Amino acid sequence: MITYIGSENIISPLGSSAQENFLQVKNGKSGINLFKNVGVGKEDLHLSKIKILTVDYKFDYLLSNCLNNIVNESAASIIDSEDTIVIISTTKGDIEDNLTTPIQQSINKLQKEFNLAHTPIVISNACISGVLAMNTANNFIQSNTYKHAFVIGADAISSFVLYGFQSLYAVSDEPCQPFDKERKGITLGEAAAGVLMSDDESVFKTEPLEFVEGTSSNDANHISGPSRTGEGLYRTVSKTLELGNVNVAEIDFISAHGTGTLFNDEMESIAFDRLDMNNIPLNSLKGYFGHTLGAAGLIESAIAMQSIRNNTLIKSLGFKEEGTSGGINILAENLEKEVTTILKTASGFGGCNASAIIRKLK
Amino acid sequence: MNYISSYCHISSASCSVNGKIINTFNTDSLDEIISELYTSLGIKYSKFHKMDELSKVGFIGTELIKNSFPEIESYGENDIALLFSNQRSSAKTDIKFLDSYKDGGIPSPSLFVYTLPNILIGEISIRNKWFGENMFTISKNFDTEYFTNYCNILLNKNAEAALCGWVNVDDNKIEAFFFFVTKKDLKQLNLPLESKILSGLYTAS
Repeated sequence: MITYIGSENIISPLGSSAQENFLQVKNGKSGINLFKNVGVGKEDLHLSKIKILTVDYKFDYLLSNCLNNIVNESAASIIDSEDTIVIISTTKGDIEDNLTTPIQQSINKLQKEFNLAHTPIVISNACISGVLAMNTANNFIQSNTYKHAFVIGADAISSFVLYGFQSLYAVSDEPCQPFDKERKGITLGEAAAGVLMSDDESVFKTEPLEFVEGTSSNDANHISGPSRTGEGLYRTVSKTLELGNVNVAEIDFISAHGTGTLFNDEMESIAFDRLDMNNIPLNSLKGYFGHTLGAAGLIESAIAMQSIRNNTLIKSLGFKEEGTSGGINILAENLEKEVTTILKTASGFGGCNASAIIRKLK
Repeated sequence: MNYISSYCHISSASCSVNGKIINTFNTDSLDEIISELYTSLGIKYSKFHKMDELSKVGFIGTELIKNSFPEIESYGENDIALLFSNQRSSAKTDIKFLDSYKDGGIPSPSLFVYTLPNILIGEISIRNKWFGENMFTISKNFDTEYFTNYCNILLNKNAEAALCGWVNVDDNKIEAFFFFVTKKDLKQLNLPLESKILSGLYTAS
């Protein structure tokens, strides 16, 4: 049985549809801007901030709008069906609106608004949450637990998270430069992104793609620093290839995590080197969207899906000169080529790593 | 069919393994309860003392499951899936982190790294050198249907066993339930992994 994936949506500073966002990044446009006095010491910092998002309950707004956009791109009958599950990916959810009982109220609201038959499943597994949420949807569909899964990732910018990353000296004073020699850390972003996954090709308004396989693995090394050998990333990609019955040679493109910190990007290059993936074109999209945490895996997958649909790979914005030891093929310019199969990866605090393979329908 | 081969309850009143009470607590202090449990494990693990309460309770529950089920050592390093869940994410540590900077203070990096609930899974993975599947979910109540479904899915796919936990540490209360799922009824507890059985075990604390 095939798990179909499609109806991708992105809400970011660059637009409110996947097509709009893809067009913007294809033209080299970034959502990152300088904001005055936002840092913990009132520093000016770069953020990828949605300017119209001035409402209270930003998280609820992002979830609801993203889900609504995906519902509009799918068969009308499935959203409130018994056969449908909604899976939410987030790290800090509604932290600014609700510190003591996080996320529950937002989920209740969403369930009522869309008349969902099942309470959404909320995955909070640091920066791999989005990829993990797609993997989970695939597992539910392949096991006939549910037929359809709406997978939504969302996180809003908060002082809480910004100050936290500042406390770790992990925030760049310039727009982030993933994989570049001069990279200095992350730029924080906010966004929502999502997909519909289903065992039924007919529920998608636009032709879907195939979600082949996805797994996760822990580094078992350190809670806030990546493994020096890229252990968990190496293991999850190996598992995903094996279970998906896909060869390294079949992968046309890697949508990497690439946060722009020294250690993370180095770790990824080592893992890809160990996997013999040195020549496969690769990018990080953090230079366009910042690090959007729970939304990141889904935004990057949605753009990669657009790359398959448009046969155009997007350059890794902010990358000029190789600054990692693994010897990898980072896209310094957009590349037009036929794209059939893509690998998406993510790594996060707690030593977690996840990967997924998506390809064009045969 | 998969089976529950070991389970463990930790509350602010007592701690039990496979239904047998092994500690009772005569204090309201969370620190004292955690410290008493750690001492009774009889181990030295320096990283334990840096953890937040959520990770400490997760760590202790895992050690108790291992003690009651030594066969766990025979699993390969990729074989054990870790599925954890709770109601309030890392709220207790989130509040402490917020307090560290709210009156013009300096945000604490050592608190910030614990403001994600899945750090608990990271701590357990590091301790045991387990590289398997990871997932942390947040739900209002202990979701027996999710745990049953997802354990069965992973054990049919790329895991040989699953260590699961519902771990809540709020204000001055601990409410945690751990269970270990295997493909065979290795301990003859006669507890097939079914939503109803799981629910019965959980409430029998």
